[in-house]
Amino acid sequence: MDVFGSFALLLAFVCALYALAGGIAAILTRHPLLIKSARQAGMAACALIFLATFSVVYLFVTDNFSMAYVASHSNRDLATFFKVVALWSGQEGSLLFWCFLMSIYIFSVLIAYRNKHGELMPYVGTILAGVQLFFLTISNFVASPFKALAIANASGGLEYYMRGDGSGLNPVLQYPEMIIHPPNLYSGYTGFTIPFAFALAALLGRYPGEKWIHLTRKWTMIAWCFQTVGILLGAHWAYAVLGWGGYWGWDPVENASFLPWLTGTAFLHSVMMQEKRGMMKIWNVWLVFITFMLCILGTLLTRSGVVSSVHAFAQSNIGNWFVGFLAVVLAICLFAFFKNRDYLESENQLDSMISRESSFLFNNLVLLVACVAILSGTLFPVFSEWFTGSRISVGAPFFNKVNIPLGLLLLFLTGVGPLLAWRKTSAESLKRNLLWPALVGLAGGVIVVLLGAASFDKVNIRIGLLLFLLSGVCRLLALRKSSFENLNRILLLLTVVGLLGGLIVILLGSREMFALVCFILSAFVAATIAVEYYRGARVIRARSGLSWLSSAMELTLRNTRRYGGYIVHFGMVMIFVGLAGQAFNKEVQKEIGVGGTVKIGPYELLLQAIDQKQEKNYVAERMIVEVMKDHKPVMILFPERRNFPTNQESGTMVAIYSTLREDLYVVYAGINQGSDVPTIHVFLNPLVKWVWYGGIVVVMGTIVALVAPRHAVLVLSGSKVPEAVAGFATAVPNSVATSVTLREGHD
Amino acid sequence: MTNRKRILTYAFVTSLALAPLGAVSVRAELDHAHELGKQIKCSCGGCEQSAGTCYHVGGAFSGPCGIAKTMIGEIQGHLEKGLTDGQVIEAMIKEYGTAAYMEPPKFGFGLVAWVMPGVYLLAGAGLVVFVIGRWRKRGAAAEAVAANSRTITPAMLERARAMAQKATEE
Repeated sequence: MDVFGSFALLLAFVCALYALAGGIAAILTRHPLLIKSARQAGMAACALIFLATFSVVYLFVTDNFSMAYVASHSNRDLATFFKVVALWSGQEGSLLFWCFLMSIYIFSVLIAYRNKHGELMPYVGTILAGVQLFFLTISNFVASPFKALAIANASGGLEYYMRGDGSGLNPVLQYPEMIIHPPNLYSGYTGFTIPFAFALAALLGRYPGEKWIHLTRKWTMIAWCFQTVGILLGAHWAYAVLGWGGYWGWDPVENASFLPWLTGTAFLHSVMMQEKRGMMKIWNVWLVFITFMLCILGTLLTRSGVVSSVHAFAQSNIGNWFVGFLAVVLAICLFAFFKNRDYLESENQLDSMISRESSFLFNNLVLLVACVAILSGTLFPVFSEWFTGSRISVGAPFFNKVNIPLGLLLLFLTGVGPLLAWRKTSAESLKRNLLWPALVGLAGGVIVVLLGAASFDKVNIRIGLLLFLLSGVCRLLALRKSSFENLNRILLLLTVVGLLGGLIVILLGSREMFALVCFILSAFVAATIAVEYYRGARVIRARSGLSWLSSAMELTLRNTRRYGGYIVHFGMVMIFVGLAGQAFNKEVQKEIGVGGTVKIGPYELLLQAIDQKQEKNYVAERMIVEVMKDHKPVMILFPERRNFPTNQESGTMVAIYSTLREDLYVVYAGINQGSDVPTIHVFLNPLVKWVWYGGIVVVMGTIVALVAPRHAVLVLSGSKVPEAVAGFATAVPNSVATSVTLREGHD
Repeated sequence: MTNRKRILTYAFVTSLALAPLGAVSVRAELDHAHELGKQIKCSCGGCEQSAGTCYHVGGAFSGPCGIAKTMIGEIQGHLEKGLTDGQVIEAMIKEYGTAAYMEPPKFGFGLVAWVMPGVYLLAGAGLVVFVIGRWRKRGAAAEAVAANSRTITPAMLERARAMAQKATEE
């Protein structure tokens, strides 16, 4: 099977090479047979990659320890499904898996558009073949998963051998998230290849019309959705497995996955400017290019050892290949851009600073600044070593300080943007649209302070904050009832007090204040979404008599893109709420004997016993911990440590009691060598569940946005078509136009 | 309102506004050494975490390693000698090198890391404002041309319809 797989991979390389060369020839000659053969070679390469990938899986499942990759990442006692997922647990296998996922995309594109976009597809196929060829080169000649184990014999030749058992899979990878996190993340990374191919193809081929931008947007959304899910699953894996109580540590590998997500998000917003107003074509094309290049850069960072990371692959010379590929991609993009720059000429005109267009520009600005700040922070240790000779580390505190304000700015724009009209928004309309969301936002802040979020524990801080928020509420009410001049004057004083107090506490810069601002903005954005839904649903309800819920659903289905976007925004609001909860995290680490207790927040944990259980691949030592809240038993938790004898490593199995309000996160840290006493590490993390649920909502929203909308169509009837709708009537077949009623329907 | 009343009002407003300040300044730190430890990277080389949050994935013990404990102990020692937070961090960096920073220092080359995001934001915002201004001028010019040609052609109407359709369908 190893020879078969290796041969399939080599043949895939040859096919991809033909697809590239044949594709270039087809573009130059426009010969139909060449176009067809290049496309079919591309599809054959994909099919061969599937075979090669399945061969590696087969080698794992059959415990073929004559293969170096299998021997280093599996062992006989490993559960079968972990043997399957061990495919992507190391450098060579994960690169093949990358090829595999990219092949699924490429195959889908080549099949789906085989009879469409005749002018564009030869370019698309050729670009995809080029990218595929690079990864096949790596998988065949640099990091092949089909290397056999061999030792030099006495005569100087190589002698192949098979190990009795493998080294085993890294314990931290032996968790359910490991099965779904990498496929999703890689699907995101590889998925961005498709929009890149469409954008570059349209530019190189000067493809007429705007169809390519719709295709690019659709494929970007798919890749973006996978990237989002991949990032969140990675965060969940870090949270549930690593046992450090957090889910995002600004590790270079995490940052690498976040960068293309940011630029992809920027593109998904700015693409609307091109679709609706024919603006920002150059910007959009470069956003797509940069997103793809960031995917490659991320791979380079995580696989080359340029930056140190807790979960990067070992340092290898593979990075040079990625640097070379990145340089080639950049050169091709620059060439295409400068050669056909006139093709991207836009009708860039704006009527007002306060418009939807402006909000998109600022949204893109914030996303891009965050992206560049994260990238420069990630690479800063390298830069500092170049310039000063000493490596200055950049850890989570830096990234938090830089990105929290940017995130809040983005959240604010998420709320304001949809309330602004295209072209121009009048002050009156802005006031009308913003009033209720702003009131809800401030009221939300009041509730948070009144609920007494853990750290707002000083009475005068609470009073200061309440004054600040209430004065904002009053000020807004005064705007609404502007005829009440006296009230307005009184409220003005209160507003000044509140604003000054709020400014001071915010300037003090505590994380709790950022969290409070985040809660307020989250309530504000949620209110804007609710208002938008309410307005749309009200119209449908008035015309159709449907219930509120049905009207809202009908509204969503009629304009999936817009309302899918709102659902995504709502999911992001939930994620922000969850992130803000981090400001109130608490933790206790304590050496504890059986019968001992630990207190954290409202919980008291009693260690009842410690036992052991023997599993096939590991020995688990677990604590039995009774959780009590307000002296009443709530549940029993079983945090455990797993010792894997095959590779002499240990792992934690965190026990989490999770509610919408907070997570009680318990880690059995092990026996402290100094005192020989078991150590328990307990975290109380508020609102974490909101992050995971928010992720689900984001995915649902993206799916809705991808679904084709149900358009309301006019079915004309009667003997005479009114003049006002004559323009529409031309689009309706005569047979339909002769029927009776004028009604709303769906196509 | 007389001057006296106005001064009293301002004083009242200011005192209310400053009320939170006092509360924050007296905020107690239960384990200050541990908190400061979060600003220094654990030098064990295995966790990529701060000395205050050191844990070891795959190790026999998931908690602060011996090195992290030593570092926290040293921080405690510095604090007991009466060093300020800044001086403690400085002393630790002197001992463990610049690789022990959890965040770049706000001086020397480290300052670049702090300044750059602000520079990106300001430069980007400046660029956006400039671009918007330029596009608005273009828009105004196009509007003026349209205003001068009073006749509305069917083509213009069609274009306007298409734009309205695009703007409302999203």
